[in-house]
Amino acid sequence: MTRPKIRFERVTKRYGALTVLDGLDFEVAEGEVVTVIGPSGSGKTTVLRVLMTLEGIQDGVIWVSGEPLNMMHSKGGLVPASKAHIRKIRSRIGMVFQNFNLFPHMTALENCIEAPIQSLGLSKAEAVERAMELLTMVGLTDKRDQYPSQLSGGQQQRVAIARALAMRPETILFDEPTSALDPEMVGEVLSVIRELAAEHSYTILMVTHQMGFAREISDRVCFFDGGKIVEQGPPDDIFGNPQNPRLQQFLSKVLEAR
Amino acid sequence: MMDWRWDFTFDVVLPRLWEAAGITVYATVVSFAFALVGGLILMLLKMSAFKPISFVASEVIEFIRGTPLLVQIFFLFFVLPQVGITLPPLTTGIMAIAIYNSALTAEVYRAGLQAVPRGQWEAAVALNLSPYRTFRKIIIPQSLPPIVPALGNYLIAIFKETPLLSFVAVGEIMHASKLIGSEYYRFNEAVTIAGIFFLVMSLVSAALVRAAENYVKRSILH
Repeated sequence: MTRPKIRFERVTKRYGALTVLDGLDFEVAEGEVVTVIGPSGSGKTTVLRVLMTLEGIQDGVIWVSGEPLNMMHSKGGLVPASKAHIRKIRSRIGMVFQNFNLFPHMTALENCIEAPIQSLGLSKAEAVERAMELLTMVGLTDKRDQYPSQLSGGQQQRVAIARALAMRPETILFDEPTSALDPEMVGEVLSVIRELAAEHSYTILMVTHQMGFAREISDRVCFFDGGKIVEQGPPDDIFGNPQNPRLQQFLSKVLEAR
Repeated sequence: MMDWRWDFTFDVVLPRLWEAAGITVYATVVSFAFALVGGLILMLLKMSAFKPISFVASEVIEFIRGTPLLVQIFFLFFVLPQVGITLPPLTTGIMAIAIYNSALTAEVYRAGLQAVPRGQWEAAVALNLSPYRTFRKIIIPQSLPPIVPALGNYLIAIFKETPLLSFVAVGEIMHASKLIGSEYYRFNEAVTIAGIFFLVMSLVSAALVRAAENYVKRSILH
């Protein structure tokens, strides 16, 4: 295994008295596709949110490509990171949200070029060229001038994926990317993610309830419960031969529901 | 039947009220402009991460909102000179109206910002946009549609608050009609015309506010 792209070192996240991540140790290798599953409230989405720095952590260190994210090196030790440091490290990570979170006052194309122009310093022409490649990849070139409200949920999520990729992240986080979609639109979004996973140039960390999809694309599946990884391994082991009773119970519930 | 004299209306009332109407409009526009800026400052102070500042700003807003405008006008008019600050009545009046409405517009700004879903902020973080860019390109455009009509309503409200300045002898339209009344012992014409003036100006401002609202909606939301 290559050095970890993402490493959580004894990461603790609390909301008041509620401990969501409990001294979590967790690694994702470069190019690895890891899926996180678990009951709601297990802390699985929190893993993505603290990694994207949408929320802070109370204890521990998060490492991205060997560099600390929430801390920084100073005089031989680690001190809490400055905003500039966080912005620098965070730029290697992109995120796709459950509710798309497209900017409603911008067209599909404008959504995809705003941040590359502002944060990466691309010229408008470069940003448009890159955005059009990505919109082609997600099959939405003809929607470039449409506003999010004019797009279906599946189309919005595909634009959101293109928007995240336009920032050239090394790692992409997917937070339940199909949970807000009508069933007939799930397929088009999954096929885009499938394509990204197959390329293996991206490190992918995904939270999903699509068990079949998780089994199909993941290199590794982690089962979260109570803020910890209770069991992890290759998808065939996790789904085919679960060891932990809580995982067995969880799987029987979600598979029954289908 | 009301006693109404047209010659008096045209020879005395209209010329004097016309002049006074200019002061009313001036007081309205200037205090509204200050209230727009003042509200923004109060809102930013209230949302400050530094707790004491945010606490003081909230209390100031509560205090201003919790006392009548007329009391504040009197307070500034009679108390400021005692601490050595003597300003013309019009300036004092504009100040009072501007301060009072700053507390109200601060809440408008705050509500407008809070109307932007949290996911928009999160997307901006995920795309590594700077705080300045996030405000300028993402948050402000989306908070304008609720903010603009609410601010417009305060413009109309301020306009209708200016007669309070007649209590401190600012020569606006209400004061002018009272003066005409006491000089000639005739109130009908002056007070009626003043009322019609306010009605017409309210309708005009309401139309302007609606136009601004539509413009913002058209240019920002699709």
